[in-house]
Amino acid sequence: MGAVTDDEVIRKRLLIDGDGAGDDRRINVLLKSFTKWCNSPGTPEEGFTQYQRMMGTLAQCEFSMGKTLMVYDMNLREMENYEKIYSNIEQNITSAHEKIAECKKEIQRAKRIRKNRQEYDALAKVIQQHPDRHETLKQLEALDKELQQLSHIKENVDAKLELRKKQFHVLLSTIQELQQTLENDEKSDNDDNNQESPAENGE
Amino acid sequence: MGPVELLHMSVFSQSFSPCGRFLAAGNNYGEIALFSLSAALSPDATAQSQKPVLTFTAHEGPVFSLLSTDCHLLSAGNGEISAWSWTELIKKNVKPLWTKRPNYKSSLEIPEINSMVMNPRDNSLIVGGGDNNVHVLDLERGVFKLVLQGHSDYVHCVSVREREAEILSGGEDGAVRIWDSRTGQSVHCIEVYKYESCARPQYGKWISCLTTDSDWMLCGGGPSMSLWHLRSLSPTSVFPLTGCQRQAAFHQDMILAVGEGPFLSHCLLGGEVKAQIPCTPQSLNTLQLNTNSTEHRVLTAGGSSDHIDVFTNLSYRAFSLRF
Repeated sequence: MGAVTDDEVIRKRLLIDGDGAGDDRRINVLLKSFTKWCNSPGTPEEGFTQYQRMMGTLAQCEFSMGKTLMVYDMNLREMENYEKIYSNIEQNITSAHEKIAECKKEIQRAKRIRKNRQEYDALAKVIQQHPDRHETLKQLEALDKELQQLSHIKENVDAKLELRKKQFHVLLSTIQELQQTLENDEKSDNDDNNQESPAENGE
Repeated sequence: MGPVELLHMSVFSQSFSPCGRFLAAGNNYGEIALFSLSAALSPDATAQSQKPVLTFTAHEGPVFSLLSTDCHLLSAGNGEISAWSWTELIKKNVKPLWTKRPNYKSSLEIPEINSMVMNPRDNSLIVGGGDNNVHVLDLERGVFKLVLQGHSDYVHCVSVREREAEILSGGEDGAVRIWDSRTGQSVHCIEVYKYESCARPQYGKWISCLTTDSDWMLCGGGPSMSLWHLRSLSPTSVFPLTGCQRQAAFHQDMILAVGEGPFLSHCLLGGEVKAQIPCTPQSLNTLQLNTNSTEHRVLTAGGSSDHIDVFTNLSYRAFSLRF
């Protein structure tokens, strides 16, 4: 790449001042006037003026060179600046990418949370329709007590019924026995009477 | 395909390829068309890239259900299930790998197959159809191992509850039955139309869409679409959508539903309808989300038209694929 840019530079310079217009020409003119001044047989004043003129041209050349050097420095510093900005922007881009990825993950999480919350709400709606557990428990307790009381009463009544049944049974069986005994007595009396009369008739 | 046929076309089923780059759609003429999503979604897509890359006739009757496994495309039509290899289809080779038919009792009429779903636990295919039964096909051995009988009318939709190994099926008789996938016994039977909050007697009692999220179930059709909590078997929210919903899906914190009416409804779990996005077909039959690929994460919806709407962002329709 160095060779290419050199070629480019040479081509550009030849195009711009191939015949020596500008700085190159000034340097050539200076050299020519210097050699002429060294070899000139003229008067010291002429020589002095020529010398002044040459110093002037030299100063011009130095000035132009100084300018170019400064421009070159400036370009280098601009390049550095741009490099810095470039790397800065690259870093920003990568950090923005990372932030985007983070945000995407966040949004996924938030969506999951929202879904869970909605499911919870839906279930809660259904659960609210059912009666409160404490109330139902209290009702159950009250019913239990009532049930116990009623079964108590039932037991008592049953016991009374049993007792009455037994007493009646005893009464009835005694009556029957008495009846039997009375019948038996009557029968045996009749038999006795019948036995006596045939015996009387037989005689 | 003449213009009259295109006018009368209905798309009944869709399925994305395992790589996520292709969409297979089945229509009422028994054809399956393969669309290339990578071509249609690329920045230099033309009208030609929205046409199918391959169209072939798969069955004699309408293709009501399509399902993709890891490397196969299963299609159901005319009472039989055919399997195609995705790699072969991408190479435009349309020879089915196998075709099977469940054991139907009557041989006079061939009942159609309305819905298929995969049970990944034991690698089986659950098929519900017009003979009022749910058949379970073991994909490893290729035999039908269970028949779940209990519905008194044909089965519209089936779904699988993975965690508890249960199969759910909804049918024309208005009952959603929950079956144990190991024993084949009906565990619960929910008659949705008997619940006052959901019932819509003017539409009937049939259940046409059923989807489950292991704890929750969405079902709709004649009765309004409702969200049920499966553990307590109670309806928690009823969605006020007009028309009968034909397919619904859980997506992140939302519910997407399509059915009668030219729109895709976004609903929240609480029971409110958040948005209704307009679509091209007058009524929609099928809704699919591409979860197999991260670059082509699209939602596609098809219905009673030869256009299949593609949504890259859930809020609006991006473009349509055409048969």
